[in-house]
Amino acid sequence: MTVEKKQKKASNEFSAGKFIRTWGTLLGFILLLLIFTVIRPDVFPSGRNLKNVIEQVATLAIVASGVTVVMVTGDFDLSVGAIASLVGIVTAMLMKAGVNTPLSILIALLLGTGAGLINGVFIAYGGLSAFVGTLATMTAFSGVALLISGGTTLFGLPENFRFLGQGSLGIIPFSVLIMVAALLTVYTLLEQTTYGRRLYAIGGNAEVSFFSGIDTKKVRLMAFGISGFFAAIGGIVLTSRLYSAHPQAGSPFMLNAAAAVFLGMTAFREGEANLLGTLLGVLIMGVMGNGLNIMGINTYVQSILTGIIIILAVLLSSLAKKKA
Amino acid sequence: MADVDVLKITNLGKSYPGVQALKGVNLSFRKGEVHGLIGENGAGKSTLIKILAGVVKSDTGEVFVGGQSVEIKNSEDASQAGLCFIHQELNLVDYFNVMENIFLGHKYPHKIIPLIDWKVLKRKAEEILEQLQVKIPLKAPVSYLSAVDRAMVAIARGFAVSGEIYFMDEPATALTDIEKEKLFTVIENLKNQGKTVVYVSHNLDDVLRITDRITVMRDGTVVDCWPTGKMTRDSLISSMIGRNLESAFPGKNSNPGQIVFKAKGINNKHIHNINMEVHAGEILGIGGLVGSGRTELLELIFGVTSLTSGHMLLDEKDYKPASPKAAINKGIVLVPEERRKQGLVLDRSIYENISLMSLNHLAMTGFLDHKKLKKESEEAGRNVRLKTSNYSNHAGTLSGGNQQKVVFAKTVLKPPRMLMLDEPSKGVDVGARFEIYSIIRELAASGTAIIIVSSDFNEILGLADKILFIKEGKQTFIIKNNNMDQERYLNYCYGRAK
Repeated sequence: MTVEKKQKKASNEFSAGKFIRTWGTLLGFILLLLIFTVIRPDVFPSGRNLKNVIEQVATLAIVASGVTVVMVTGDFDLSVGAIASLVGIVTAMLMKAGVNTPLSILIALLLGTGAGLINGVFIAYGGLSAFVGTLATMTAFSGVALLISGGTTLFGLPENFRFLGQGSLGIIPFSVLIMVAALLTVYTLLEQTTYGRRLYAIGGNAEVSFFSGIDTKKVRLMAFGISGFFAAIGGIVLTSRLYSAHPQAGSPFMLNAAAAVFLGMTAFREGEANLLGTLLGVLIMGVMGNGLNIMGINTYVQSILTGIIIILAVLLSSLAKKKA
Repeated sequence: MADVDVLKITNLGKSYPGVQALKGVNLSFRKGEVHGLIGENGAGKSTLIKILAGVVKSDTGEVFVGGQSVEIKNSEDASQAGLCFIHQELNLVDYFNVMENIFLGHKYPHKIIPLIDWKVLKRKAEEILEQLQVKIPLKAPVSYLSAVDRAMVAIARGFAVSGEIYFMDEPATALTDIEKEKLFTVIENLKNQGKTVVYVSHNLDDVLRITDRITVMRDGTVVDCWPTGKMTRDSLISSMIGRNLESAFPGKNSNPGQIVFKAKGINNKHIHNINMEVHAGEILGIGGLVGSGRTELLELIFGVTSLTSGHMLLDEKDYKPASPKAAINKGIVLVPEERRKQGLVLDRSIYENISLMSLNHLAMTGFLDHKKLKKESEEAGRNVRLKTSNYSNHAGTLSGGNQQKVVFAKTVLKPPRMLMLDEPSKGVDVGARFEIYSIIRELAASGTAIIIVSSDFNEILGLADKILFIKEGKQTFIIKNNNMDQERYLNYCYGRAK
């Protein structure tokens, strides 16, 4: 074989690999949609069901947007579920104590952001690893939520609080609008601001960033604050949707948000957390859950399948990467 | 006996996507010789060594060891064939101790499998270090060791199993002259035992000194292979770059202006009572041995570490940076020594890297104007003669010389008051070196104050207007760089004056 032929072959393999790395996860998602459509053409692709899916994933998408910011720097946030739960409980307790709804929400948002900043102080300034730091605060925040709520579900929230999670503007559910706003905000932050550039630089190489005049500690601290802020929004919307607050209502966010970001890292960009990818990850998880429900598959089996999907996606993208 | 080929390579070829890294290389190494292998970055040396080490597979060609054709599919095959490797990059596990690192990846001795026989391990490690004539505590985690000792541990690892042919890829870059001499003695001993040493280095003086034959590679092929006695520094350079290099350094043309930076009796843990002045348009060289405190001095000025006493002035105003961020805001920038660790985010685009240090300046509102960012980065890149077709490619795809130009572009996109350079030509090939020297000269001519640290004394002698010598963190001499020769320079480095 001549040299040119070989080179040509190599470059073809390269572009095929690149194509799979960039678009494979999206293709997988489309395939998933097709499969469910073929299996249940009467139910799955209906407008009502799709609206249902989007409504279901809205809170996860909000929380995962914040987690994306942290994961861009190469850190990790396990505490978002606990923050969402705690924020939900505090909002409910404030409203039940007679504080008006907007003020309760504002206080709860500050609380969530503060909780995120606490993570940031321990991790960026105290030198804890993000995993250990947020594992510890997750445990502590859950404890606080259980303690102050007495471990029970809080009912009897004011009527005007329903709107966030259950109301809609025209045909668009209000929670979906909040999701879109969250996604746009984080997208702009990551792609269009100097702060976003610094986050990605730190994720690429923290030492280089420090030598380039970036205050790496402050940038990481703020990332955790942002993650806490979006976890709080997620927690409030969830509480409104359920119209009750449970001290562990937010727990599933912890793993689902991380899973969505990891899935997203396999899409569009090579191995890098990015917001479009996160959105895709959230949608994949939402569609999976919905489709399997429609097919009447047991929720335990759903968990198993979700695990397998995540492993497959990450495995395939890393295989494609190796081959290139 | 000296003419027996212990290792012969025929028609070795390897292509990567878009690049033909090796184009049918034929090469042979004799028993009992020290064989220099040189070439610019990207010439194919690393690929060749990786193939022999079993890290990458060749597309074509054959490898013969002792006349037998061998197939090297992994590192075990390589060591079976008697090939040992001492790598350029220090792949040590920080929290393992010295002897564990020495045996990392090798077969551990056992009394009863799977229990490790630590006594034998310790004895063997001691023997190896003794052979290298270095004293390093065996049980210390390597993260506690100095850079020099770490490098020696990495070298010791290459000797943990004995072989017939030793490949050493830039083994001496992190060593002081004393350790380097020890290494050379070891190489001499290996040679006397009839072993073969392949010595890969950019340091041509070292190569000329210790080798018997030298092979020059360029663009994936072997261009020359001669006995060392027939080569000179100049002939090696022209052979490496395929043309004559008129002179290694651009002419001096400095016309110092007023004082930009001044340090008065500065101290910290590593630096003791240093006084210095740098004028606009002046190049101050810092002379001294590896480990004398040169890098620490730059880091102190750059705000990585802080002063314990003394003070610094920038344009006659108090200057006390708390971080690199503060230093950069005041106009003092650093091209750090470890390009891949401190200089570039390898998997971000070239233009993002170039703009990283000047984001505040380029996007004052905090929102990015991608077009402007790209345009300014490209202009900065052009100014330093960066060769790339696409500024959106990752910085890691560039050659060493071009990567260094990206770091230059990044530090001077917003013109600094003072530029500090730590080993600016480390890992940069000969052709690109001259360009980098010219860029340094141009920056000085435009009025930037410059401080340069280099282990290549030719570089200091060729570039600096004034040299500050330091030893063990203390200032020994400040001397105008007139008629200085290598011998005098080295004497000053050791703290001796004539």
